[in-house]
Amino acid sequence: MGQMTNALRGDGISLSFGGIKVLKGLDVEFRAGEITGLIGPNGAGKTSLFNCLTGAYSPQQGTISYAGQPLNGLPPAARASKGIVRSFQHVALCPDLTVRENVMMGIARNFKAGWLSAFFPLPCGRQERAEMIRAADTALNDLGLSDVGDKFPSELPPGMQRLVEIARAVVGKPSVLMLDEPAAGLNNSETRDLTTVLRRLASSDLVMVVVEHDMDLVMSICDRIYVLNFGEFVAVGSPEDVRRNPDVIRIYLGSDDDE
Amino acid sequence: MSNQSTHISTNESVLMRLTGIATPAVTSGIVVASMILMPFMLGGSWTFTLGLCFANSIGVLAVSMLVRYGGEVSIGHTFFTALGAYSVGVLDTRYGISLWASVPLALLLGVAFGIIFAWPSRNLHGIYLAVTTLALALAVPEMINNFDSVTGGYEGLYVATPLIPGASMGSQRYYVALAMLVIVCFAVSRLRLSRQGMALLLAKTHPAAADAFGTRRVWARISIMGISGGIGALCGATLAFSGSTVSPGGFTFWQAIFLLVGSVVSFYGLSLPRVLLGGAFVTLVPQLLSASGAWIPVFYGLSLLGMILLGHYMPRIRKTMSRNSEVS
Repeated sequence: MGQMTNALRGDGISLSFGGIKVLKGLDVEFRAGEITGLIGPNGAGKTSLFNCLTGAYSPQQGTISYAGQPLNGLPPAARASKGIVRSFQHVALCPDLTVRENVMMGIARNFKAGWLSAFFPLPCGRQERAEMIRAADTALNDLGLSDVGDKFPSELPPGMQRLVEIARAVVGKPSVLMLDEPAAGLNNSETRDLTTVLRRLASSDLVMVVVEHDMDLVMSICDRIYVLNFGEFVAVGSPEDVRRNPDVIRIYLGSDDDE
Repeated sequence: MSNQSTHISTNESVLMRLTGIATPAVTSGIVVASMILMPFMLGGSWTFTLGLCFANSIGVLAVSMLVRYGGEVSIGHTFFTALGAYSVGVLDTRYGISLWASVPLALLLGVAFGIIFAWPSRNLHGIYLAVTTLALALAVPEMINNFDSVTGGYEGLYVATPLIPGASMGSQRYYVALAMLVIVCFAVSRLRLSRQGMALLLAKTHPAAADAFGTRRVWARISIMGISGGIGALCGATLAFSGSTVSPGGFTFWQAIFLLVGSVVSFYGLSLPRVLLGGAFVTLVPQLLSASGAWIPVFYGLSLLGMILLGHYMPRIRKTMSRNSEVS
């Protein structure tokens, strides 16, 4: 029951751009304690759904809630304060900040030292920075990135940049972690490392949603998978169910008629 | 843009990696020490000019802050410098109140008007915001003239109340400007380490990511305009005190352009040596060229081009020089 309560839900979500319906009345439930996959071909509407759930887009119809609390109308920053965080399809690290500082931004919303401490070395500002550094170093250490805290993102390979993004997302101990194509651009070895990291992050009170094209990664880490095509779900279930689903096979492999 | 301005650096190890030799703190310390000794070596007119140079450096810093932390360009910062200058001028001439009270008021007004300007323009970016700031710059001289009962109109105001009664006014005009520049640069360097500063940088480069982690882009825009406006007002307050007079001629559209030029010449740097370079360009180059008559704009343009090219090729020149020294 607890798992059901701490779920991110979307009921009847519809989104259109101009006259084009991108999402067609979708019902979703992402449960705590599970890693949920969201897959589908390019243009299926995965990132649009993601953006609706995180507040970047406002769906024309439908309700979104977390743990029973409605989220409709809340901007991304307000959703972040409720512990709903995300990573981005294209790495969105700040090139002016070091890796450690980028990760610190993931927990910045929890601190409140005033503007005076931003300009002058007051104890509250120093303490705030020390606590943020401590939290960021712990997150970096957990993801095996303890050696790169002082580097700038541009000095890291793409795989590590992805991990830094994940570190930034998890440093604030989120209740909902949404990862948008975390394996994009990674080589096999980096994807294996990512798989290990995501498994380690999973916990009973965390809702984790992964949008991904890498089927091996999705099948190996997800407890449940939603398959999206042309703005509609064509399958929902365990990796085994989805793998056997004829519609999914047709979408990904093409039907015999196509040959 | 040269590589040297890619990052706004934080700690010693990073800075040393970027600069190769001394940290900016060491460089700034040496520059400040030299500036403290300067009045003992130079004549009164040069001391006066350097005081103006420090004040203009603060203005250059105000523009560079907007570029580095907000990703935007202003061609109207004389609006904020005028606010600061007239805060000092009016309180001084009308009420005999010194900088102790007028500088905080200038700062407050600069921040407040920065925020007031930022709110309606919060969704404007790039050239559109720049043109909007242009409106501010164009309005300033007319506004000053229309409120001549307070501002003194074309005749302006004379600032004569010392900060420290009894001390030489000439020395005060110099050292107050230097102190103000050092304090502002120090405060700006601290901002880089703060949560707010880092949030502004993230909002500048990835607004969606900043939003997703609790930093609203509207907050970022309003904050940086407030900060930049406040620093601009401090520039004006310092100009008023160091220059001793406040008149509309000091806050024209061209002055706003010169502040932007100073910012470009300093490569939008925020460290004391960099903003001093920009301030020196704004203050000293016109003075040095004053004997050139009709050729002033040409020589000014050439010196601007020279500075930009020098800054652009400096990393390459430095690399070549270090390679040659290794060979020899």
